[in-house]
Amino acid sequence: MQALSSLRENKLRTVLSVIGITVGIAAVMVVGTVSEGVNKYIYAELDTYGLETIWIYRKWDDENPFRTARKGSGIDNDDLNSMRSCCPSVRRVTPVVYADDDSIQMRSKGKFSNVNLEGVGIHYLEINHDRVTTGRDFRKNDIQRRKPVAIIGTRVSDELFGKHTNPLRRVIRWGDIRLTVIGVLEFESRDILTQLGADDYDVNKRVLIPYTLYQQQFGVKDIHTLQAEAISVDKIEDAARELTDLLSRRHNNHYEYVDESMKGWIETAEDILGNISLVGLIAASISLFVGGLGIMNIMGTSVVERTREIGIRKALGAYRRDILAQFLMEATVVSVVGGVLGMVLGILAGYSIGYLSGYELGISWSTAFIAMIISIMVGIASGYIPAHRASKLKPVDALRYE
Amino acid sequence: MIQLCNVFKSYQRGNSRVNVLHDVSLGIESGEFVAIMGPSGSGKSTLLNILGCLDTADSGDYLFNGESVMMANEDELATIRNRSLGFVFQSFNLIPRIDAKRNVELPMVYAGVNQEVRNNRALAALKIVGLEDRAHHIPAHLSGGQQQRVAIARAIVNDPDIIIADEPTGALDSKSSHEIMKIFQQLQAAGKTIVMVTHENEIAKYAQRIINVDDGKIRTS
Ligand SMILES: Nc1ncnc2c1ncn2[C@@H]1O[C@H](COP(=O)(O)OP(=O)(O)O)[C@@H](O)[C@H]1O
Ligand SMILES: [Mg+2]
Repeated sequence: MQALSSLRENKLRTVLSVIGITVGIAAVMVVGTVSEGVNKYIYAELDTYGLETIWIYRKWDDENPFRTARKGSGIDNDDLNSMRSCCPSVRRVTPVVYADDDSIQMRSKGKFSNVNLEGVGIHYLEINHDRVTTGRDFRKNDIQRRKPVAIIGTRVSDELFGKHTNPLRRVIRWGDIRLTVIGVLEFESRDILTQLGADDYDVNKRVLIPYTLYQQQFGVKDIHTLQAEAISVDKIEDAARELTDLLSRRHNNHYEYVDESMKGWIETAEDILGNISLVGLIAASISLFVGGLGIMNIMGTSVVERTREIGIRKALGAYRRDILAQFLMEATVVSVVGGVLGMVLGILAGYSIGYLSGYELGISWSTAFIAMIISIMVGIASGYIPAHRASKLKPVDALRYE
Repeated sequence: MIQLCNVFKSYQRGNSRVNVLHDVSLGIESGEFVAIMGPSGSGKSTLLNILGCLDTADSGDYLFNGESVMMANEDELATIRNRSLGFVFQSFNLIPRIDAKRNVELPMVYAGVNQEVRNNRALAALKIVGLEDRAHHIPAHLSGGQQQRVAIARAIVNDPDIIIADEPTGALDSKSSHEIMKIFQQLQAAGKTIVMVTHENEIAKYAQRIINVDDGKIRTS
């Protein structure tokens, strides 16, 4: 209460030091919110591929004519079966067959959509971290019996049926084939990754059908790509090696296989996030340092201005620790108020940045907590030196001060 | 009660040392009202500050209630100031931003007295100096005489043995000065020891004994 009365008395000085801390904490909050937000978005986008995903396919620009003796991808249904037991670092595998070049036109009641057709197996959705918003996943039966069923992306659904029609159990015509829609995929964004240089394949224009149906329709037996999921991100390389080794062995080293994974992208993302945090950390440290200097300066002025008061209090029997406590209390109040205001400002700034950039940024409560601790520590540390000096004054010297 | 033996005190000024107190010895008995007089710069305040444990002597001995305080540490001196001494200054030395009652409560805050007792004792002390109806005025809204009475209430609130007053009427008109001195007389009647510096003969008359200081020495008269 003593502390508060003196802060009230010296409004301008109090306001200035509160502002110093406020700006510092707000900066910390903004940095935390932005880097956590970017982190969330990048990982959400990476996750649309499945973080543990590996793609295995035959190397197409194979120059050895003997190696190209056998047509197709060099991966067949038998390979797929043998894989399930031989690769301990692999959790699950799905074949993916697709038309490499153009998109395929599909129709429904006079409406058209150029879709990305993929023939897939039963684990496809799990491996790709895809979810169906309505309907269901493929069943074993759909794959084995080449059922004419399809799971479609949201843009395909919008183009063929409009936004307000439930596409479930409706029919899509693909040449002579009538595909029944059994599910709709959840919308996925890859905007950030596309900007960072990922391909612009539109995941929301996919039409997924049983790969067996695809093979039958195109009269092929091979599988373009195997998509596998490692048991963890660390095991991606092991899993890729197990799969390529197995394929090479089964085909007597006729073909070379290439594997791709999300590893490079994860590393790129971590680089970007690291840079954001570093820049932010530097900016935040500078503002907090300035805020701390502000408190120190202002506390110093306060001590000088109130030297006489310190003398009076000592004459009345204040111990050194009472004087120290009083000034530290003031510093604490300033830094807590500054910290709370900084948090509020930081939250508002976070929302504004989110609103202006169109990304939904969650408030980083862990950053808020750390920022609060930092502000109190900076405040107390900056208040300590002048407070210590004040507490050491001899009463007679302090009282003589005009 | 108070015993100073061969006390010396000097200050550094520039590169020479100024001897302010030169072999001062004196004793003050419990219940006495003593006035210290002397020309300006003779060392009266220096002497009083040593008696009030606000400053320490360079050499000699100071017995307070029979015990030497020469070796006391800062916290022990603070305890003596808090429990056994009450101060009244020429310029009142109230804390400007808090009201009269809160000023009077301060010595009790540092004595660790709880809020309720503080409140009652502060109001009782203000009543003794006739200011119970000004308890919630800040110093700036009180006259000089009233401020000095608040200071006296503050000086007596922890029921000390000794009141130390350095020119308590130096900033007051003659009417207020005499009011203050009447309060001092009442306090003496209630058993307090009072040591007061003044250079006004009018004021010194209220004391029973006068100690003359001249150029850092006690002049026996
Ligand atoms: N802290 C100090 N530093 C230097 N000189 C001082 C200090 N305090 C007092 N003096 C000097 O000591 C002398 C006595 O001062 P003081 O005790 O205040 O005299 P009085 O109260 O009798 O006017 C004066 O010459 C004054 O200038
Ligand atoms: Mg003086």
